[in-house]
Amino acid sequence: MRRPKLSIPYEWKSRSFWLESCQAYLYLLPALAILAVFTFYPFFSAFRLSLFKWSVVRPPGDYVGLQNYTKIFADKWFWNAVWNTFYYVAVSVPVTLFLALLIANLLNKPLKMRAFARTSFFLAYITPLVAVAMVWSWMYNWHFGLFNYILGLFGGSLVNWLMDPKLSMLTVIILSVWRFVGYQAIILLAGLQNIDKMYYDAAKVDGATGFRVWWHVTIPLLTPQIFFVFIMSMIGSFKVFTEIYVLFSGTPGPLKSAETLVYYILRKGRFDGTQLGIAAAASVFLFAVIFVFTLVQLLVTQRRVHYQ
Amino acid sequence: MLRKVILVGLISTMLAGLTVMAQEPVTIQFWHSMSSGHQPHLVALVDEFMAENPNINVELTYQGSYGDTEDKVNASVVAGNPPTMVQLYENVITPLVEVLYPIGPHMTQLEKDDILDGLVENNTFNGVLVSVPWNKSIMVLYYRSDLISAPPTTWAEFAAMSADLTVDLDGDGVIDRYGTGLRPYNPEMYLNYVVQNGGSILNDDWTAVTIGETEGLEAMQYAESLVPYSFISPGYLSDALGAGQVAMFVDTSAGYYYNNKAAVDNGYTMGVSRVPAGPVNAKSAIQGTNLVVFDMGQTQAQKDAAVLLAKFLIRADNTVYWSTRGGYLPVVKSAYSSQAWLDYVADHPEAAVEAEAMVDGFAQILHPNYGQMRSVLGSAFEEVLLGAATAVDAVANLVIELEALLDY
Repeated sequence: MRRPKLSIPYEWKSRSFWLESCQAYLYLLPALAILAVFTFYPFFSAFRLSLFKWSVVRPPGDYVGLQNYTKIFADKWFWNAVWNTFYYVAVSVPVTLFLALLIANLLNKPLKMRAFARTSFFLAYITPLVAVAMVWSWMYNWHFGLFNYILGLFGGSLVNWLMDPKLSMLTVIILSVWRFVGYQAIILLAGLQNIDKMYYDAAKVDGATGFRVWWHVTIPLLTPQIFFVFIMSMIGSFKVFTEIYVLFSGTPGPLKSAETLVYYILRKGRFDGTQLGIAAAASVFLFAVIFVFTLVQLLVTQRRVHYQ
Repeated sequence: MLRKVILVGLISTMLAGLTVMAQEPVTIQFWHSMSSGHQPHLVALVDEFMAENPNINVELTYQGSYGDTEDKVNASVVAGNPPTMVQLYENVITPLVEVLYPIGPHMTQLEKDDILDGLVENNTFNGVLVSVPWNKSIMVLYYRSDLISAPPTTWAEFAAMSADLTVDLDGDGVIDRYGTGLRPYNPEMYLNYVVQNGGSILNDDWTAVTIGETEGLEAMQYAESLVPYSFISPGYLSDALGAGQVAMFVDTSAGYYYNNKAAVDNGYTMGVSRVPAGPVNAKSAIQGTNLVVFDMGQTQAQKDAAVLLAKFLIRADNTVYWSTRGGYLPVVKSAYSSQAWLDYVADHPEAAVEAEAMVDGFAQILHPNYGQMRSVLGSAFEEVLLGAATAVDAVANLVIELEALLDY
């Protein structure tokens, strides 16, 4: 059997193709340069650094191979951070998405002051996170906080929200859900408004109403937005840090009960600079986890996403 | 003695200044962490220095918190371009020693002898005085003088008084005021007890962990005994003091302004005393940073100018100026007998208490992994304060974790 000849793509033979391509890359160059310096270089440096015992005065220090990885895998606080991170992601992502779906559905109805409602929900996302977390830390205050005041009105006892290890991740999750539900709702709302009315008309003709329409028409046609929000929310959740840092006054919560992987990386890499290799190893681990989860998501949900 | 020291200091500063003046103008960078409250006083001091040394230009740059400054200094060292002078904690200095320009060899013996003894040891690396202490504070006992007429002076008195002052004022079953407050992330509270009981974290040559011995365990057990009478707070206790939730607590003298304001704003009065004495001594932890000069691309003129600035800042008159306005304590012995300090103490009796404690204080160890060790100490302390572990178990785990950090 004769081998097919390798053929150069037709457009490669065109001078205008190369001119346009060069032009395109020139436009992309500034953004690529910034990404190269602030994203790609640190990204690959982390892999390299994870193989060294860091030295500030003689960087990168002594080559230690995979020793940093064995150290983190043997560190109980590393697994504590992994557990806390997975707990946060497993709860906050689906809860936020579910509530965002409900809110988007409500905002899509012809309500009075709908514009005000949409703005209000989105405000939570655009308000600076540090300011938000500071206010919430006072709302969670054991003696003077708003939440305990409300609990007291209903006869409940005071809850030590920020000093009880069993509740610390929950306090972060509640704050995160409040913060991101509006942003996700706006994206889903855009998707809802993009659904062609003919699908609903067809469903009506078939006698479908209420929940059945929502489940069999709205949700499938909203899957591109749901998929996008889910992936972005999951990737962002794995990197949670600021809420914890401010809510717990610069600590990772009582008994490190709110220490996530990013906080662990900061703690290892920051205090005296001698553990930067270990911090790099932990960050490579975090990258691997997010990469695997994103890949699985893409494979599992791709067939279920319905594009109009 | 005081006049001699000041005279020597002035003459050597002037001579060195004349030497520098005879050279080309020189610019040095001083990175600091002094925020809005302290910065004007630092600027005033540096302006005075530049007036005394017209050929030296000091570029003062605020770098944020101590942690932010340390991050930036480490990054600048990796980049091979650190500033001329920085303020740093001891454990951050240790890994940088080989790229630092020792200040001690450029001081007279009189000047070195004038630095508080505990602080000299704490700035000496491999037998050389590399850095000099600068903005130092000491842990003291703050107490509500409207509730406590005579503050406790021993561990036993402190424990008894804490128990007596822990009350449920409205009878609803919830404690409204605790006798004392403890901060899990301030392991210095635990270290006070360790040292006061004659213990230490490591042995002298850093080859073994000693905090698990009897002295360290008893110190943790004492802290454990205080838990039922303690307001446990992740942050500073000034808010709890102002809210009437604590009657007394041990904390840094640098927090005096905030603690006093919290008390006064809420109609209380506050006193300051030495921390209650333990079985062996009444030492408490010294905190605060030190001045270092880098030797990584700096010219000789820059290094000399930076050494001159460091000596200027710790000169008796200037350390008194800095301390009386910044809430710190003078770092040289001669300052404590100066008229300016004595006048200040006459109007601020808490300063006398702090000064007495300072002379008797202990500073942090110089081990390069001390930052991580401090984190581990805080975790063990926290486990006990939150009831997650007994003192025995917490100390046993602490020893294991500290042993893993001995190697550097």
